[in-house]
Amino acid sequence: MKKLFLCTCNKTLNKRLDFARIEKEIGGTFESVQVHDALCLEEGLAFLESEVSKDDAVVIGACTSQIIGVPIERRLASEQISFVPIREHVAWVHKDDKKGATNKAMVLLNDGAIHVDYMVPKTSVDLQMEKKVLIVGGGIAGLKVASDLVQLGVDVTLLEPPEFNKDSYVEMNQFMADSDTLTDTVKGLLSASKGSKKFNGTITSLSGRAGLYSVTLKLEDGKDKDLLVGAIIVATNTEQSPPSLAKTAHYGKSDNTLFVSELATLTSNLSGKTILVAQDPTYHDSDAEGSYLLREVTKAAEKGNTVIVAHFNIYTKDENLYRKARESGVIFVRGTLERVDKKKGQLVCRLENTLESQVREFAVDYLVLQPECKPWSGTRKLAETLDLDLDQSGFIKTRYSKIKPVQTSKRGIFIAGNAKTPMNLNDALASASNASLEVIKSIIAEGERKGWIPIIDEELCDVCEACVNACPNDALRRVGDEIKHIPMHCEFCGICVSACPTRAIEFQSHSKDSWMSRIEAIAENHKKLQGKEPFTLVYACSECANASIDQAGFTGKGYSANNYVIQFPCAGMVSPIEILKGLVVGAEQVIIAHCPPGGCHHQAGDHLSELIVEFTQDMLKTIGQDPDRIKATYMIAALPNKMQEEVAHRG
Amino acid sequence: MDKRENLLDTIRAIAVRTPTKDIEVPEKVVGFGTIDYKAQTCSACKKCILACEPGALDMEETLSMHDYLRVTMPQEGFRSKNRETLVTLLQNLKGDYDYGDVQAVSVPDGLAGYGSIAWSAEQCIACEKCIEACPENCLTLQKTYKLAEVVGTVESPPRPPERKDWEPFIICFVCWECSHAAADLAGLMHLHYPASIRTIRIPCSGALEPIHIMTALQQGADGVLVTGCLLSECHYGGDSPKAGNFMQYDFVKFWSDILEEIGIGGRLYIDFASAAMGIKFAEIVETFTDKIRHLGPSPIRVKTEVQE
Repeated sequence: MKKLFLCTCNKTLNKRLDFARIEKEIGGTFESVQVHDALCLEEGLAFLESEVSKDDAVVIGACTSQIIGVPIERRLASEQISFVPIREHVAWVHKDDKKGATNKAMVLLNDGAIHVDYMVPKTSVDLQMEKKVLIVGGGIAGLKVASDLVQLGVDVTLLEPPEFNKDSYVEMNQFMADSDTLTDTVKGLLSASKGSKKFNGTITSLSGRAGLYSVTLKLEDGKDKDLLVGAIIVATNTEQSPPSLAKTAHYGKSDNTLFVSELATLTSNLSGKTILVAQDPTYHDSDAEGSYLLREVTKAAEKGNTVIVAHFNIYTKDENLYRKARESGVIFVRGTLERVDKKKGQLVCRLENTLESQVREFAVDYLVLQPECKPWSGTRKLAETLDLDLDQSGFIKTRYSKIKPVQTSKRGIFIAGNAKTPMNLNDALASASNASLEVIKSIIAEGERKGWIPIIDEELCDVCEACVNACPNDALRRVGDEIKHIPMHCEFCGICVSACPTRAIEFQSHSKDSWMSRIEAIAENHKKLQGKEPFTLVYACSECANASIDQAGFTGKGYSANNYVIQFPCAGMVSPIEILKGLVVGAEQVIIAHCPPGGCHHQAGDHLSELIVEFTQDMLKTIGQDPDRIKATYMIAALPNKMQEEVAHRG
Repeated sequence: MDKRENLLDTIRAIAVRTPTKDIEVPEKVVGFGTIDYKAQTCSACKKCILACEPGALDMEETLSMHDYLRVTMPQEGFRSKNRETLVTLLQNLKGDYDYGDVQAVSVPDGLAGYGSIAWSAEQCIACEKCIEACPENCLTLQKTYKLAEVVGTVESPPRPPERKDWEPFIICFVCWECSHAAADLAGLMHLHYPASIRTIRIPCSGALEPIHIMTALQQGADGVLVTGCLLSECHYGGDSPKAGNFMQYDFVKFWSDILEEIGIGGRLYIDFASAAMGIKFAEIVETFTDKIRHLGPSPIRVKTEVQE
């Protein structure tokens, strides 16, 4: 039975929409049409629960699925539910056009009716998880993750590179913190992480999926060891090396030349000394290093020392640090250290001020250098073995710096601490805690993961690997002469479907046929109700773009009723076929709305949809059609007027 | 150097005219042909490229709009349904637009699943492995050879100077069964035929490779004569259609067409004589020598002299 439930949203929507007309005219499509005043409240949910049985197909015309989706899906026995946001997408944005809004509501409700026809229950993902964790790198961040997880009762294996030596760890890896703090922290973490297994060796191979990764380790004694783990955390460190200035500055030969990290220990009970901090002009430091330098020189100056910083570019995102340093009396000189001579226990430094083209010579008590910070030398090899992406500087790339800062390009592999970028001690510890939480969430948490997945037709598949290349999540892999889908890695985005040239991959509930008939029906119903008025189709991704259009409703940024939004799981799922279909059925323009550049929830959809539109525009040009009839644009919840602007004018 | 490359280089070296026409490939000639590509059903799966050993196929990052707009959809549609829909929609949208000079559309970098196959006549050995590999039936073998594409532009040499004392110089490949015996018999019978030929004994006329013909011409022969056993009487195959002389007959026809196109037509000839046909052998030589005398000295000699 196909049932339609309309919500008046506490008797407000029926003032903007002609509910009586909707019931009368659309009634034929559904077996029953019922109107309720508050479907989102307990009484409404109870009403739905009593009305809907397992075999019913349900269309809910109410507020956005972002609000009402979860409670309804949880309560209803049926899994064939389509949500039509007649509030945010219709009633609230077409306030002055009751007839047009009612017509649009009917068009969209009809679309919902077709959508449920194609809908199948969501597929449950096999969540079998090995509740074991492998940590690569037992530095501060690695130890922190290990201690967090051990305390939560997780089986932890800690893998160290063969050259690792516990005793000299603190001396070897000055961690943008003074050695006292470091020694204490390491001591604390070592005792807290007792109970984790420790090996010295390297990873040689990785296979399987997140939750069931099988890893081969090559241990220090030359033996291989196989492990089955649920998640891997990469907590490799940075490597610090003396800068090219080190030789000029007599580093290692003079007791008075030291690194920034040693400055705090030195000045803890020292005042009235002259200290020169020299930056290497050939090395560009990161934000963390620049900020650390500024903090340390401020502390040294506050102790009553004369601190001079010869710099080129101290990079920091916190302007206050610089101001504070100046206020504490630090003298900043733009220039390079040219020459250093030892004289009577002091160092005579020759400094060229490049701003004033002046060369000065003065004696200092201490010379402080900033070491160069690079990713651990084994990072590249490790990334190859684990199939991870690296950023420009050779650090491991995070999946999405804002909302997924400890996730890597591969599901089930996380990063903690300096593996991502040079960090100071506190940031590294925070990042490690974050990684432990994500691991706990992914491997320990019980629950169900469901979604519509791509189904591969082996008959039609040419094994061209277009889907494998397109999938941003490593959820499709070629195994022999077949393409295999790994539901655990799948984010249900549908990008693979857009890439497939043969239609060997069909997405559950979103088959190509379903798009075709939905687009056709919208156009047909529009023409029936609105006559010859031109209309626009907006293919919106279900993440940012849909939220933006909902926001347009909340903030009342109205637009013409002749704009129909069709929700795609991800804008990357739109292929030229759906775009051209929109034009063929008579849409004046087709807009593909995606997440902001670089902000796609599935990593690639924003970029792919831009490419698809560019490609389709080229096709249109060659057949003499106006390419400006289609466009790709980003929409984001923070910009509620984006929808209004985009549909208002062409081109 | 690769055998095929060597042959094509020799053909280019002896060409005295820019070929324009495609050469028809006779039935029995294998190894030469044209791969016809239907872009509209191609799913860019690269299977043909992987199957092609000589590397005659390559991926082009373009979409052939010309093919897409021109194709008539078969009743059952294409195997690849996404392409079928795309083609249908594009044809629907184009309306009455004149698609005569539609350009290919380039595929943006980073977009998987689109592309066209570029085929090169030069590398192709018409082995049909790509056709077997193609799941969409977008490749077919045409029995024509795109000579013009292979040879390119040729600068014609000047006409050879008239020489009164010129006598034709002909290389004659004889099979070591019947036709060699026929030549022997002609000698035993004291038959007189022109002294223009130099015989080279080969196991079977079918064993003659095109590179031998081309090299003979390149080295200054005015004509090349191939003789074998009587048709249906080849010692290596008898009346089988795969017998040496049957095969060579088709091949000589193919090579004659090619020589014609590159400006040295009529200088290759095949005939057959049994061991008892001494007289016929003498006649063959006489007729062919007359023909060559009529054609005049080979222009290739001039060409090589000019090049030097």
